[in-house]
Amino acid sequence: MNARLAFAACVLGVAALAALGVPPLAAAFGLDPAAVDLALRYAPPSLAHPLGTDELGRDVALRLALGARVSLSVGICAALAASLVGTAIGLAAGCAGGRVDALLMRATDAVLSLPVLPVLIVLAAADPAKIGLPGGDAGGLVRIVVIVAAFGWPKVARLVRAAAMSLAARDFVRAATALGASPLRVALVHILPNCAGPILVATALAVGGTILFESVLSFLGLGIQPPLPSWGNMLGGAQEAVWQAPWIALWPGLAILAVVAATNLLADALQDLLDPRRLNAT
Amino acid sequence: MIRHAGLRALQGLLVLLFASFAIYMLLGAMPGDPVDLMASGNPNITPADIQRLRELHGVDRPIVERYGEWLGALLRGDLGYSRMFARPVLETLAPYLANTAALMLAAFALALALGLPLGLLAAARRGSLVDAAINGFAFLSAAIPTFWLGLLLIVVFSVVLGWLPASALPPPGEDGFLARAQALILPVATLAVVEAGEYARHMRAAAREALAQDWIRTARAKGASELRVLFGHVLRNALVPVATVAALGFGGLFSGALVTETIFAYPGMGKLIYDAVMASDFNLALACLLMAALLVVAANFAADVVHALLDPRVGAARGGPAP
Amino acid sequence: MRRATAAAALLLSALAGVLPASAQPRDTLTIAITQFPSTLHPMIDAMAAKTYVLGMARRPLTTYDKDWKLVCLLCVDLPTFENGGARRVALGDGKEGVEVVFRLDPRAKWGDGTPVTATDAILAWDVGRHPRSGVASGEGYRRILKVEARDAHTVAFTQDRVTFTYNDFSQYELLPAHIERARFEADPENYRRRTAFDTEPATPGLFNGPYRIVQVQPGASITLEPNPAWGGTKPHFRRIVVRTIENSAALEANLLSGSVDYVAGELGFTLDQALALEKRQRARFDFTYVPSLLYEHVDLNLDVPAFKDLRVRRALLLAADRAGLVRQLFEGRQPVARSFVNPRDSVYAADVPEVPFDPDRARALLDEAGYAAGPDGIRRNAAGERLSFEFGTTSGNRIRETVQQALQANWRRVGVEARIRNEPARVWFGETLRKRRFQLAMYAWFSAPESVPRTTLHSESIPTEANAWAGQNQPGIADAETDAMIDALERELDPAARRPIWAKLQARYAEQAWVLPLYYRADPFVIPKWLAGIEPTGHQYYSTLRIEHWRPR
Repeated sequence: MNARLAFAACVLGVAALAALGVPPLAAAFGLDPAAVDLALRYAPPSLAHPLGTDELGRDVALRLALGARVSLSVGICAALAASLVGTAIGLAAGCAGGRVDALLMRATDAVLSLPVLPVLIVLAAADPAKIGLPGGDAGGLVRIVVIVAAFGWPKVARLVRAAAMSLAARDFVRAATALGASPLRVALVHILPNCAGPILVATALAVGGTILFESVLSFLGLGIQPPLPSWGNMLGGAQEAVWQAPWIALWPGLAILAVVAATNLLADALQDLLDPRRLNAT
Repeated sequence: MIRHAGLRALQGLLVLLFASFAIYMLLGAMPGDPVDLMASGNPNITPADIQRLRELHGVDRPIVERYGEWLGALLRGDLGYSRMFARPVLETLAPYLANTAALMLAAFALALALGLPLGLLAAARRGSLVDAAINGFAFLSAAIPTFWLGLLLIVVFSVVLGWLPASALPPPGEDGFLARAQALILPVATLAVVEAGEYARHMRAAAREALAQDWIRTARAKGASELRVLFGHVLRNALVPVATVAALGFGGLFSGALVTETIFAYPGMGKLIYDAVMASDFNLALACLLMAALLVVAANFAADVVHALLDPRVGAARGGPAP
Repeated sequence: MRRATAAAALLLSALAGVLPASAQPRDTLTIAITQFPSTLHPMIDAMAAKTYVLGMARRPLTTYDKDWKLVCLLCVDLPTFENGGARRVALGDGKEGVEVVFRLDPRAKWGDGTPVTATDAILAWDVGRHPRSGVASGEGYRRILKVEARDAHTVAFTQDRVTFTYNDFSQYELLPAHIERARFEADPENYRRRTAFDTEPATPGLFNGPYRIVQVQPGASITLEPNPAWGGTKPHFRRIVVRTIENSAALEANLLSGSVDYVAGELGFTLDQALALEKRQRARFDFTYVPSLLYEHVDLNLDVPAFKDLRVRRALLLAADRAGLVRQLFEGRQPVARSFVNPRDSVYAADVPEVPFDPDRARALLDEAGYAAGPDGIRRNAAGERLSFEFGTTSGNRIRETVQQALQANWRRVGVEARIRNEPARVWFGETLRKRRFQLAMYAWFSAPESVPRTTLHSESIPTEANAWAGQNQPGIADAETDAMIDALERELDPAARRPIWAKLQARYAEQAWVLPLYYRADPFVIPKWLAGIEPTGHQYYSTLRIEHWRPR
């Protein structure tokens, strides 16, 4: 268990450090990750460019660090958004029970039964203005966050509902109700904090899921748009160069692989830590 | 049990109705209707042409009205024509469906055949090097971007070694069963590796839980061989949670294999849906998407049934979906 | 494990070049293209993949050859005013039209042996002008007032106007009347769903070219075999399979692994990819780069206030290092464009001045126009309006995205900000570009040689809500001088008299900089050493129109 946590912490720590530390550091040294140098396209790794350069002669290492920033923030924001919605719905369903529960759970089922990838593609290709999202640079980020939140919440909702239902039957909750605490207070003060485990696990899983999903959208040209680098669009952009400059496909691919594996391991380890009796949930 | 099944079926239908409405409206919210697309590629088109085409393809009317009409026709068993292919929708998607079925079943079978034994083995050798390796594989495979893996396999097995074809469908005339099977190896492997890791992980967890139960100790104490314990007792119990995961994974393969299909130039449902959506071919996109939704609903249902059959603790009384 | 895959990938890509080509009897040819034709009917929906495949199986009346000259394919000789094949006719109410008489090649037969006759030309006209037949563009057919069969092999077309393209029937698609007439007449409105081209595409009688389609594997491949009724040069290959592979990396893998023999130059590799491939695969393939009529450019939306100022438009052009871009991204294989007319076109005006890369001059022009550098380095005018524009193109198109980012960097250096905002092709072409909701737009036009730019430059062709967004004058060019030249060009029948008008039109276009010309795209033809006879055309009538001459060396 500790090995898992250690690995996850290492990988995520390096990624976070790169995301937070490298861009300002590079700026301090006067290195510009967006600097285009057409004379230096697809340069192999060298001292000046330890991981080589891409199709516009930009430094792959710097872009990788900047991409970490974009990919991680998209992953974390989307996962948090999905968890927030899912927690609210799951808590409502689990605590209220009865008709509210039935209605919310049917809605959850309905969303879960939509074929995820195609519907996400429709959403990604839709006109942001028509569905009330901003366009422009931030548009790509916000859009992915909204899409993941819109389709990621049911999983969280189910976990939270199950936890809330079992908690509602516990003595300390009954005692609070008997002492006259309002249902809202019971839900927020007594039940919610005890659901933290499953929420945390689901959120960690969603971070990795979002990063992978963004890479699929980028493969289709629907992901985060250049010049903003994300690991997904760096990898997508490298496809055509996979024969002449394999390293530019290698690094973003490895970064995705490592970070997604780390978030999954983290979720796994958290699950065991937080609730030793429950070995697995889906 | 039958009442429960009936209720679930009814719910499934409602979900499908909801899905069809949601998808129709989403497609409508996409910019550029079919005629816009036809017009954009055609320099000589005149305003009169555009008006004529709008009427012909019925896109000049409000979307809710079109949805009502489409639903009515669907109830009469008429899925309409694909605009892109100018063919009836069912006739258009039939070959894609057949391709997808082949790819899906093979990938699903391979994933189960790999994942379940690996998971069981890992659980049986708990804490060993084998366990760690299998667990590592499970986590890495779930984290690989599909097209990266697909391209890697093509580079190694098609280009460098030259053992296997790079596209998943041999040309007509050379498409005997063997040739087709051979061409499917790489895409099936790409899909199966990802799924197998998932199954192995769940199987391992479930088997570990089962192994910790008292009755296993009892069985061992009674002198049952290790193999018999594993396959006779542990497997059966561990299959309950794994069945749910597998059913959901199966549903996802149907429309989620888009990336694999694109890399291996394989005309399957994922690609067809993508193309239909991108070309605003409403009838075709809807039919495909509904089929995908239907499959997910059916897979959920199947997971429920399997759950009920394998696990006596789950009674028909529990109306809620499987966890 | 990850380290191992990393090392393997590096090693393998190095090895990839050394595989021997597989040795087979060369009587089949497998061609890869990047698109699958959704319909095979020649008149419904225009699509490059369909044009490519049908080029092997069908022949139009005329076409442009590799030297960009109009020639006969199904006709015996090209009717002209000089040889008496064409004449002016009065149409009543003072208008004048042209009557052209085509003599069909008596050797031409449909695949089932039925001769190609005047009735087939008449059916094409009936379908083309029918308002509800589903033909995307009926305009060309509706301009024809009358089609008459003089005898079985002689057809006379009366056109409603006098233009110098009177004898260009390259887009006039004859339909096999003995198969399609009944299907059309039974229900014209549903003809697009009933046509044998889509219901039974393997019907031999649909095709009059050297090959006929024998099998369609939806989404994957189309198989063709020689048409026994073909009377021209006997084609070599016993079978041709056209496969669709959309992913560019997979396309390359298929070629290198021998799964396909040839990747279509017109619909295959990106230039980038071919240039990289050439470095490793010179031994196996011949590389030819053919500048084509695909004109890549950046449109300025002239509704944007800043773009109404010629100095701003010129400054954007001067600040763009197009020559550097072409040299470094494309190894100089794509000529920098000066106007919309390709240097290979007979009406190209060589004296249109080349606009150099001159950032200093660009800065001076912007200063003069009243834009001074602001605190963020971006210029703004007295009212504080920043020179910052949205710059869009199709997302997922690697080359465009690369060029776009290079231009963005160029403009940044003279104090102009371009904010990249790309969209998927369907959104971009179907909505943003078509309805003129862009500020800067990068895309390409494809045209025939000496094609008059009425739909792209005439003020009547500005897409508006009122005309249902028809027309391709996306920048919104409304210039009386240009309009007059376009009208004059179409009416002038004497090529020599047209030349000065063409020259003036190109000069005007270049000087006004409504559109920033980038370059003419080059189609990279990667042809296996053993394959001969492919003659790249560089225009919209593809090399497959000469497929009967393709053969092994």
